[in-house]
Amino acid sequence: MVKNPGKALCVGTYKPVNNPEPVPVKEGAAGFPAKIGLPKWQTIAEVEDRWRIDDEWWRSQPVSRLYFKVRLDSGQQLIIYRDLISYNWYQQLY
Amino acid sequence: MCVLLIHFPLCCEVLRQPSLKGQPIVITYTAASQKLVLDYSPELDVLQRDMPLQQALSRHGNTILVPSDIPYYRSIFTELLNSLENISPLVEGIEPGSIYIGVDGLQLIYPDDKAIIRAVIDAIPDIFAPRIGLAGNKFLAYLAALSCPDGGHRILDGDTTTFLRDLSCDVLPVSIKSRQKLHDFGLNKLGQLSELDLGPLLSQFGREGKKLYNLARGWDDTPLNPRLMAEAIEESLTLPSVTVSLEAMLVALESLLIRVFNRIGRVGLGICELNMWTRTWNAVQWEQTIRFKEPAVGIKGVINRIKQRLENYPQRGPVEHVGLRVTRLGYPHGRQSNLLPEVRAQDHLMEDIRQLELRLGNPQVYKLQEVEPWSRIPERRYVLAPTNR
Repeated sequence: MVKNPGKALCVGTYKPVNNPEPVPVKEGAAGFPAKIGLPKWQTIAEVEDRWRIDDEWWRSQPVSRLYFKVRLDSGQQLIIYRDLISYNWYQQLY
Repeated sequence: MCVLLIHFPLCCEVLRQPSLKGQPIVITYTAASQKLVLDYSPELDVLQRDMPLQQALSRHGNTILVPSDIPYYRSIFTELLNSLENISPLVEGIEPGSIYIGVDGLQLIYPDDKAIIRAVIDAIPDIFAPRIGLAGNKFLAYLAALSCPDGGHRILDGDTTTFLRDLSCDVLPVSIKSRQKLHDFGLNKLGQLSELDLGPLLSQFGREGKKLYNLARGWDDTPLNPRLMAEAIEESLTLPSVTVSLEAMLVALESLLIRVFNRIGRVGLGICELNMWTRTWNAVQWEQTIRFKEPAVGIKGVINRIKQRLENYPQRGPVEHVGLRVTRLGYPHGRQSNLLPEVRAQDHLMEDIRQLELRLGNPQVYKLQEVEPWSRIPERRYVLAPTNR
C-alpha cells in the first residue's frame, strides 16, 4: 500500500542565528523589567532604551515584541524583550 | 492496462485531511493572475476542470476552497508509480491521475487478467477508487477505464466495434480544433467516423486524419513509455520564516542543491534538467524549469542559473516553501580539474568535509551567511548554511 507522504517538509538544512533565549524576568512598575535571572537574580539598574517591533501581522504567528536595552547593577548591558503575544521574556542580541 | 484516478487532487487532499471527506470542495490553482478550478467534489457535477473560480462559485456558493499543492500531488503520484512498479516494470505516468501499465509477459506471475487487476487495486489506496481498463492498446485501455464506474474495471477483448460505435468523438486524444471540426461535420460518434475512408479524413484533418482513422477503429500503435528507472531527485524545505528576499531563497536553494548533489554522488553525473518551485504563505505556486546545455556538475553553475531565473521571474508573494526536482541527469562530455593550487586546496577541504559528513551524517560544518541583514527581527538576518560544497 502507498503510505501517505504528506509529512511536514524538512527544515534544518540551514539554521537561524541569534535565536532568542527565554530568560526569567521580574517586572516592576508599569511592566518594566526590574530583575533578571542569569541564573542568579540581578537587579536592573536602568532601562537605557526601549523600542517595539510589530511584523508579520498577516501570519498565524505574528511578531510583536517590546525590546529593552538594560544596564544591570554590575554595569553589564543586555537586550531583552517581552513577547507581546505569549508575554514571555527573552534575551537576544540586537 | 490503463488506470484512471478521477479526482486525483481531491483524493490527495482528503488523504491529507480526512475531515474534508464528503464536504463540497473546490481545489483551485492560479494561472495568469486568474483563479481556476483544478478539481472538485463529484457531487458538484456542473463544474469543470480549468473553469474560472468565479464561474464555479456562482453555481455552487457553499464550497470549501482549497489551494492546490502540486508538489504534494506529484509526490503521492510518484509513490503510486513506485508501488505499481512492483507489479510491472513498465509503468507510465502520463499526468497525475492517469497511468498506463505494460502487462505483457506477466502470465507466469499472474495466472489471468483478473489477478493482475486485483494486484493493481491492492497497490492503490481505496480512497482513489481507480478505474481500470485492460485492452490490446493504450487507447482502448483508456476507453475501457473511462467507461467503468469508480473503483471498477473492464476488460476489452475480441471485437471492439460495438463498444466503440456509440462513444462520443470527444474521447479522441486529438486537438480541440479537430474535435470541434468533427462536430461541425456532424460526426459525433466514433461509429460515424469509422465509416469514413482514409482519404477524406486526410484531406480535411491533415496528419491528424490518419490518427482519427486508426483510433475510430480502435487501432493504436502508441508505444508505452515507461518512466526511467532512475527516479527523479526531489528535495524541498520549509523556510524558518516567510521571505521575499532573493538572498534567503538562494541560501535555501543552495542547501537543497547540496543535498541533490550528495544524492547524485560522485559518479560523474550532472544535472541536465531541473525543476524549481516555490510556494507562498497563501499557497500560490511558482514553478520554473531550467535546462542545461552541458550537464551541470557543480553547485556554482546551477545556482547562477537559478539566480537569473529568480531575478527575471519574480515571486507572487512572500515565500514559505522552496523545492528542487531534478528531472534529467547526464554525463558531461569532458571536465578538467583546475590548475590553480589554491582552488584545488579548497576542493580538497570540501572533499574532507564531505567525507566527514558522510561518516557522521547531517551537516557538520556551517558557514555564516547574510540573508536579510535589514530585517527588524534579529534572528532573520543571518543563517548558518552547510559548507559541504
